Amino acid sequence: MTLSRRRFLGRAGLVAAGAGAAGGVLAGCSTDTAPPPAVVPFRADHQAGIDTAAQDRLAFAAFDVVPGSTRADLVALLSTWSAAAEAMTAGRPVPGENDDQNSPPADTGEAFDLAPGNLTVTVGFGPGLFDARFGLGAKRPAELAVLPALPGDTLDPAISGGDLCIQACSEDPQVAFHVVRNLARLGRGTVVTRWTQLGFGRTSSTSTSQVTARNLMGFKDGTRNLKVEDPAAMSRSVWVDPADVPDAGWLAGGSYLVSRRIRMILETWDRDVLSDQEDVFGRAKGTGAPLSGGEEFTAPDFRKTLATGTPAIPLNAHMRLAAPENNGGTAILRRSYSYTDGIDQTTGMLDAGLFFVAFMRSPSQFVTLQTKLGGGDALNEYIRHTSSALFACPPGVRAGDPGDYWGRALLEG
Amino acid sequence: MPRPALRTLAAAGAFVVVAGLAAACSSGGDDAQGGSEAKVALALSDAGCAPNPASVPAGPVTFTVTNSGTAKVTEGEIQKDNRILGEKENITEGISGDFSLRLDPGTYTVYCPGAAQDTAELTVTGQGGQSQAPVDASLATATAGYKQYVENQVAALVPASKAFTDAVRAGDVARAQALYAPARYHYETIEPVAESFGDLDPAIDLREPDVEPGQDWTGFHRIEKSLWTQNTAAGMAPYADKLDADIAKLQAQVAGAEYQPAQLANGASELLTEVSTSKVTGEEDAFSHTDLSDFDANIAGAQQAFELLKPSLQAKDPALATQLQARFTGITDELTPFRRGESAPGIPAYVDYSTVSEEQRRVLADRVNALAEPLSQVSGKVA
Repeated sequence: MTLSRRRFLGRAGLVAAGAGAAGGVLAGCSTDTAPPPAVVPFRADHQAGIDTAAQDRLAFAAFDVVPGSTRADLVALLSTWSAAAEAMTAGRPVPGENDDQNSPPADTGEAFDLAPGNLTVTVGFGPGLFDARFGLGAKRPAELAVLPALPGDTLDPAISGGDLCIQACSEDPQVAFHVVRNLARLGRGTVVTRWTQLGFGRTSSTSTSQVTARNLMGFKDGTRNLKVEDPAAMSRSVWVDPADVPDAGWLAGGSYLVSRRIRMILETWDRDVLSDQEDVFGRAKGTGAPLSGGEEFTAPDFRKTLATGTPAIPLNAHMRLAAPENNGGTAILRRSYSYTDGIDQTTGMLDAGLFFVAFMRSPSQFVTLQTKLGGGDALNEYIRHTSSALFACPPGVRAGDPGDYWGRALLEG
Repeated sequence: MPRPALRTLAAAGAFVVVAGLAAACSSGGDDAQGGSEAKVALALSDAGCAPNPASVPAGPVTFTVTNSGTAKVTEGEIQKDNRILGEKENITEGISGDFSLRLDPGTYTVYCPGAAQDTAELTVTGQGGQSQAPVDASLATATAGYKQYVENQVAALVPASKAFTDAVRAGDVARAQALYAPARYHYETIEPVAESFGDLDPAIDLREPDVEPGQDWTGFHRIEKSLWTQNTAAGMAPYADKLDADIAKLQAQVAGAEYQPAQLANGASELLTEVSTSKVTGEEDAFSHTDLSDFDANIAGAQQAFELLKPSLQAKDPALATQLQARFTGITDELTPFRRGESAPGIPAYVDYSTVSEEQRRVLADRVNALAEPLSQVSGKVA
């Protein structure tokens, strides 16, 4: 009985997977031939790159402030970065001299002829920025601290944490990389790059206008992600409310960013039978429908059991453990990307997986979810969390205020 | 000694920037001067690259390098007193390239390596003087000061390297090892200048990985390898003699050299590139591990150029001058903990670079990059 169900789902899954792949190709073509208006406004109440429909490509960098730097250096850094980010998101070069034969050009140039592709640049501040160095300790939001050790962590400190971060997202990978490269250059002497991560394909849909992307395991993971078209849910789960931060008002209207580099052990995953792969996620691989039935966007029925009496969605399925209804309503805005960084030299296996990025009103939302997932998720057999970072993203740079810059309320307030 | 690709860049970027300047000036000044710009064709062939015409009036000159069907000759250069003023490389059949120079009256050499007759003469006629852009007084002081600095460094290099080569010839390995770093120091302070003299830098400072097939490996690093890996100076006397001769050539060359303000600035940037690409990685002195001595010398040479340009820079961009001052201090402070007395009077000695941890090297690299970025802005301010 069980066997036949699996076989049936397996066939359906394969057929649908083929159709899905074809659909993806077509979607790619149509994006290329009919480019949408590709500029996302830089100045807004919230920073762009959070409630922006997830772009296809990511370049992410974490920075440490160089010893000896002062708060004035931070002001200069963030003013310069804001001006450069505003220019680049509008499709302009980094401000400065770009035509003087006797000087290195202010802009490195690799994005000159490229459309911004909905480029967004988002900045975040790590817990370390609030230590004794810059006198910002009193303004540290109580929740901005290194994430606690979580079940299943195998973190590499060299690619974790950081005093600041930059998330650059665009439909064009070179445009995104250009941002990280140029901001690192502008910051040289005040910050050093601690680690970087490229994401080559979005795995999250953050807008109802987007189809649900697939992760490298081939699954639609994120069907039930928060959508930016739902302002009530965004306020409830993503934006920091003034009442949340009585001592850190600068963060009101901002959001917390959690990043986790999640390596997938793809070789062993690919040897797992389809029925087990589907049980791990709790969804059909092809359609993305919950194993309790229906189609992709059908609400999962966690109580439904099979004729054998076992739950249709297994008790340790990723989707069950992560579901808001099983976590007291806890939801986060996932904005993750697939990555690959070559191979693991020891094993020869692919070093690839998910660069998980999520925005939330409080880091406790992630801690709640990951505590549960890290302990019991069937997916854990195939993944390793290799990096972790938490940043507080301030609100957006205000329109109509030329003197405003990222974090001004923190640094000058 | 930078990698070969960088050497070309060094020639084109640091000391031929004057050519770039001239090109920029000439393109802007053409119309005002009634379009009097001279044109010279350099057709590369197996036989040579005689300029056509062979004589032009002083002022802006545009050189057009073409390849008339030779696979052996792909590069044309204009030199004066053995220094490259302008060049075009990789001109293969069917390719052509232009470069412009502002030339004073005199005799120039056209050089096309690989040809049967690889040099030819170009005569520039007329009145001298007016082709030079007016230079403000503080910059004139700076370039004169730099010329003095270079000559002083080479004057110190001659006896220091002689002491080293004497020890090599005497077979005194311990003494030669002790004198290696202090001999190099005076070379490393002015290395970009040496690089502008064509083949002198490779002869003096080529590193083993950069030796090309068929090339005779000479200079400091040739001797370094024997002293440290085989603990002997046996067979090194000819290289010691050659090093003395090449340094004597260098001394003769710098005696006649003049410098432009942008050359000081770009030379300083080149020194930082040297530090960040070969010293920080420990590739420069792979056998002796005396990289930090070279590191110190590169920084000292760059700082000297900066100090000379500072009065002018302070007038034009005081914030940049202040930032650079702080970043020079930042890098020298970072080096201090590694200092161990002196290797010769006035020459700082440092710990063996193999004892410097990855983390410490990273900090040094970060400091170098923090300095190199604003330093790259100086040439545009003083040009």
